[in-house]
Amino acid sequence: MLKRKRLLFAIAAILPTLAIFFWVRIIPIGEILRLSVHKWDLLSRNKPFIGLENFRELFADHLFWEALRNTSIIAFGVLLLTIPTAMVISALIYHRTKSRFAGFYETSVFIPHVASLVPAAMAWKWIFDARLGPLNAFLGMFGIQPQAWLFDPTLSLISIIILCSWQALGYAVIIYLVGFKNLPNSLFEAARLDGASAPQSFWFISMPMLKPITLYVSVVTLVSAFNVYAQVFVLASDAQGAPGRQVRVLVLDMLENAFRNYRVGYAASEAVVLLAIVLVLTFIQFTLLREKGARS
Amino acid sequence: MEGKTTMSINKNAILRAGINRSAVLGSVAAGVMMAGISGAFAQTVTVWSGYPELAPFYEHVAEGFRETHPGVTIDVQAIPLREHERRVALGLSSGSAGAVVVELNSATASRYIENELFNQALEGVADFVQDSENFGEFFVDAVSYDGTVYGVPLFRGQSALFYNLDMFEEAGLDGPPQTMEEYTEYAKALTKRDDSGNIDVTGWSLRLSGGGQGIAEKFWINMFQFDGGMMIEEVTPGKFRINLNNEAGRAALGQYLDNIHIEKTVAVESPADAEAFEREQTAMFIRESWVIGDIAAKAPDLNYATAPLPYGAIGLPANLYVSAEGEAEQAAWDYIQATNDPENLVWLLENVGWLPNRHNVDYSPVTEAEPAFAAFVDYPEGYAFFTLPALAPIEEVLTRIAAQLVNAFAASQLAGDEEAIGNFLQAAEDEANQILRREGLLAE
Repeated sequence: MLKRKRLLFAIAAILPTLAIFFWVRIIPIGEILRLSVHKWDLLSRNKPFIGLENFRELFADHLFWEALRNTSIIAFGVLLLTIPTAMVISALIYHRTKSRFAGFYETSVFIPHVASLVPAAMAWKWIFDARLGPLNAFLGMFGIQPQAWLFDPTLSLISIIILCSWQALGYAVIIYLVGFKNLPNSLFEAARLDGASAPQSFWFISMPMLKPITLYVSVVTLVSAFNVYAQVFVLASDAQGAPGRQVRVLVLDMLENAFRNYRVGYAASEAVVLLAIVLVLTFIQFTLLREKGARS
Repeated sequence: MEGKTTMSINKNAILRAGINRSAVLGSVAAGVMMAGISGAFAQTVTVWSGYPELAPFYEHVAEGFRETHPGVTIDVQAIPLREHERRVALGLSSGSAGAVVVELNSATASRYIENELFNQALEGVADFVQDSENFGEFFVDAVSYDGTVYGVPLFRGQSALFYNLDMFEEAGLDGPPQTMEEYTEYAKALTKRDDSGNIDVTGWSLRLSGGGQGIAEKFWINMFQFDGGMMIEEVTPGKFRINLNNEAGRAALGQYLDNIHIEKTVAVESPADAEAFEREQTAMFIRESWVIGDIAAKAPDLNYATAPLPYGAIGLPANLYVSAEGEAEQAAWDYIQATNDPENLVWLLENVGWLPNRHNVDYSPVTEAEPAFAAFVDYPEGYAFFTLPALAPIEEVLTRIAAQLVNAFAASQLAGDEEAIGNFLQAAEDEANQILRREGLLAE
């Protein structure tokens, strides 16, 4: 009887959260799936069913492929830049835990993650400015010619990767720090007695033992980077006055199709593709973590 | 010029010296009637504009409107155009907008009218619009659908050349360029470079980057200068065709590429548009009349002049529409009519710089005081105009073309290669026509 009451209480307690989750997450996803097989211009009452026509057109659309290519480059670029950097920075901070500046180090790295995105991106826009930006001024000190960071097709992608990584780094470092603090000290002491140097301890002990953390941070960073939009919008948006070369990413392409081209069904099919990518990445995460759990 | 996408605005149309007496009396009578019925209202009407610089104008109208409609609150929300378009799409389709006065161009508004998201104009408003004393046929057509009036014309975007007089004098140029060939020659003479040869001041600022349809619109304006080349033509009623790979298209793209990659009078990363002109970072550029107001506010000491373009200009009418029910609808239409009061239109021209469309108003005190308006109202005989067609997927078509053009501008290998330019434009044309085919709008 008591067990049943506890079960009912648990259900009652979780029900509001589930209801909200269902309302704001599941229903929209269902609606996106439904819209992706319909033709709808946002304004019309008619939404004719067109099967997979949106997907057929999508996979023949060079702008979609451009958006997917750019998004993937940004996402994996952010991943490749963020993870090793975060691991090294967190190792340095961890080994300076007793320093009176430890709190300062952690805060400085974490601030970009909590800073408001738009002002931060505006600041980076100035940094990347071809004529007046400090980045080109700095490079000029080494005799490097000024670069059109926000206009060159390759450099504009690199600029966005740098901005996104700068923002993602703080979160990754904090998670890694938690991981470092949970590593058994005895292993490092044993390694030191065996004559291992600090880099060797890092490479042969810390890195393998932080694998679950690395997996988690990798997937969170990758999924978040696949949803990149605001950074691109601010750095290279469509405001008048030539602010930069527009870097087409999936979310931006979706918004353009839905609210500028009035093609909601088509945009929904893009959203389904993005959803599929994110699901695959999440599946990979779960699979790898489960394998790890099974082995342990 | 032929077809529905062209228009003709009478020379000096908005420079009429004498105010039509009957129109003034009509306005006064309408004002008295409004005052009489104002007590019945207790409404909020929101004004959605896509031009932040117009907010003071709408506020100015609201100020006078409050005297005749004390129970009506006017809430002006003016944001950048692209966000405005998204807001209108979301707000009206979801039905959450409330009572709104929406400012839109005719081409975009046609979608909303087709889907019955804008109200038909009330009888008195329709009469006001259809009165030829107030508006030319082009503007009446722009707010009508199947012969029914849905909106009220307010202002138009019309382009002209802005050029820096000091820089022209320094370069030994004694007047604006008259042909497109001269545009490039002048740009070469006007470009200033640093010791390393990098551009300090662009000779001719072109729209080369950013996103959205603006790039395609600006390209079309340049294309039009080559004997009236049209990017989109209505071949038969309701059926259209995109034409990029024609003589005008190739000439226009060739000129862009020459300026970017061969003469290097402008670069994609160069400061551009009104801001660059006001900071004297470019010697000349093509833009609408609002720049006059912008310069007056931000760079009042700038020594500049304007000139008509070699062949003609874009004329893009912006109109006011209503989405409201009940008493709020009446209030919204009353407000819209107030925007067209002569005093308010003169205020608009003087303080913002957009060209009002109502022609029986005396704008001469403003145009005579500000010579820069001359290029917009006093253009040569035979000066032609074009506008965007009322084509449902117009935004998509132009955005697609813009995306292609950005790639073209970056492709230095295209510069000077006519065949490659033709092939590129053909590919862009085919892609854009595919959109028309999909929508059943392509003229075969």
